[in-house]
Amino acid sequence: MAIVQLQHVRKAYDTKVAVDDLSFSIEPGSMFGLLGPNGSGKTSSIRMMIGITVPDSGTVELFGQPFDRKNLQRVGYLPEERGLYKKMKVIDQLIFLGQLHGLDIATATKRAHVWCERMEITEAIPKKTEELSKGMQQKIQFIATLLHEPDLIIMDEPFSGLDPVNSTLLMDTLLDLRKQGRTILFSTHRMDQVEKLCDAICLISRGKIVLSGGMREIKSSYPRNRVQITFEGDSTFLRNPGIEEYKLYNSSAEIKLRDESAAQQILAQAITGAQVTRFEVMEPTLEEIFIEEVGAGGKVDA
Amino acid sequence: MPSNTFLIAKREYLERVRTKAFVITTLLIPMLMGGGILFSVLKSKNSKSASHIAVISQDTDLALDLQNELEHGKDSEMRVDVISPPSPETRSAVVAQTVDKQIDGFLWIDTSATAPKTIYTSVNHADISTKDTISGAMRRVMMRQGLKHHGLGAGDIKTMMEPVEVETDTIKNGEISKSDTMTAFLGAYVLFFLMYMAVMLHGMNVARSIIEEKTSRVFEVMLATVKPQEMMMGKLFGVGAVGLTQIGIWVAAAILLSSQVIVSAVGAGAIQIHFSFPQIVAFIGYFILGFLLYSGIAAAIGAMVNSEQELQQFNLVIAMPLAVCMFVLGPVISNPSSTFSRVMSLIPTCTPLLMYLRISISNVAWYDIVASIVLMLLTIWVVMWFTARIYRVGILMYGKRPTLPEILRWLKYS
Repeated sequence: MAIVQLQHVRKAYDTKVAVDDLSFSIEPGSMFGLLGPNGSGKTSSIRMMIGITVPDSGTVELFGQPFDRKNLQRVGYLPEERGLYKKMKVIDQLIFLGQLHGLDIATATKRAHVWCERMEITEAIPKKTEELSKGMQQKIQFIATLLHEPDLIIMDEPFSGLDPVNSTLLMDTLLDLRKQGRTILFSTHRMDQVEKLCDAICLISRGKIVLSGGMREIKSSYPRNRVQITFEGDSTFLRNPGIEEYKLYNSSAEIKLRDESAAQQILAQAITGAQVTRFEVMEPTLEEIFIEEVGAGGKVDA
Repeated sequence: MPSNTFLIAKREYLERVRTKAFVITTLLIPMLMGGGILFSVLKSKNSKSASHIAVISQDTDLALDLQNELEHGKDSEMRVDVISPPSPETRSAVVAQTVDKQIDGFLWIDTSATAPKTIYTSVNHADISTKDTISGAMRRVMMRQGLKHHGLGAGDIKTMMEPVEVETDTIKNGEISKSDTMTAFLGAYVLFFLMYMAVMLHGMNVARSIIEEKTSRVFEVMLATVKPQEMMMGKLFGVGAVGLTQIGIWVAAAILLSSQVIVSAVGAGAIQIHFSFPQIVAFIGYFILGFLLYSGIAAAIGAMVNSEQELQQFNLVIAMPLAVCMFVLGPVISNPSSTFSRVMSLIPTCTPLLMYLRISISNVAWYDIVASIVLMLLTIWVVMWFTARIYRVGILMYGKRPTLPEILRWLKYS
């Protein structure tokens, strides 16, 4: 049973098609990345999953059932546009949002304290939201999303605006939640995090799916034609005919090969004139795939 | 498990009641209004004309009589110099005195013709009250002189010239009772303005609260579990409850203040304001209806605009219909049962203020009241239908303000 299943979903605002024929499913206990450039329809898709908007055609299923508002109590949603009541005290705010998700006051209070401790912001509890720093507000928002222990966690750009420390804290928390069997969907355009965290991805551009599936399958479907080399000395080996293109940095280079088999020959040539400290043959990074796919799609459309 | 609407209403209520703004408006509005009314009543009571003028006439008798009338009359306490008969230099002398501000003006009575010609000259263009006082006094003096010429005795003349007091009674539920028009009028007047302020204030509060949630982007978080309709209703109920609380405080304070002890302590015994029980019920009932109507409109506006500044431009939409009630306040008060008053009070945007006013100063037929309530409920229903639709789409629209065709298209989204 898929936790989230979208089938041929389409949504248009007036003449602008936000999402077109979108289908994917998310397996329980997995971490799913919804990727795409700005304005590609990520937020529109998410809004349809939680019933803020209704698709023009196609179906959305949550927890294996046709969309039903009562299932929303099992969903935690962190919107891209963060928002809290500025004048409200943090604890009141958390309790209020918890109650809206079906918690009683006692449980909500208890969990709010536990989470604040875990997020290292206990000192914020009695304060008003407007008195807090932006990072703290983000954490409060994050807690509000998780307070009712949702089975499905949907986060729209959760890492935007977080410093590295908080970013890591959030990432660790998400990994913990997955370990507990929660299903997590997040949208982002930061590929390094997706590569580290996600089991499956769906890449959309201009409302359409460009690429979708398990992370490993997607990556292995690309040829291992990337080489990262760190070296000191002569760089003439970069003119090898087996190299399609390269980028040369201070003491390293990123190489794209015409053919996987050219790698060994290039290494042999390189060690004749330079001291090689690292040589790695690999699949393209997700970032490269992203740029390639979205860029190609863009050219076709434009 | 409490419903979402209730939770939202409760949050809205508690957050608002705790604000300083609530305390301030609760205290300040009735204080300003009560103070203002008290001031104007006391002032108008004591506003006898107190100018210092000169009266110039050939007829010394007439001039002295007029002096007496102006100095000790019913509504004047003027100081009057009599110059009779005038010498050729008199005119230039009084003109000089007037210019030097030794006197406020001079009254020249020319009795050479059969009907005396009276001219009042002063430096003020618009001293209406002095002019009225003089003309009233002049008429009484002329009448007295005329009656004297016809041979009536001074005693007879005095009786004839006595002012007549008219007492007012009203019939309510078949019983005739003494009524004090002044009291009833003041009570209605105070509550009319309180109603105006309350509907306006809390209607705008709904719009403001929606904009606040829009700018702080709380909406999206809320919409993950709550329906837009639940949010809107919760908000209306919450703010409405704040309004009722405020009115409750005002009514309690009014009852307390109008109790005999305090009124006489303030020394305003003659202008005590009395609120009857049906008047208070009507007040609360019409406040609820008026609030729902205006806050429904305000909610739609709030969902359409993006900031308080933009809201200001739409203030008129709410202020205008209420201002219309102010314009017709005079005709309705002077004739609360006329066709004009009835029609105006049945227009839903005016009903809360005008029908309420009519109820408190006259006996309104039950079918008028029923019709007004039915009409209001229908209008509220229609407004809410539109608002719910605009709200649902509008709260998620940031940035540009929608154009009218866009708003019409929103109505079609489901």
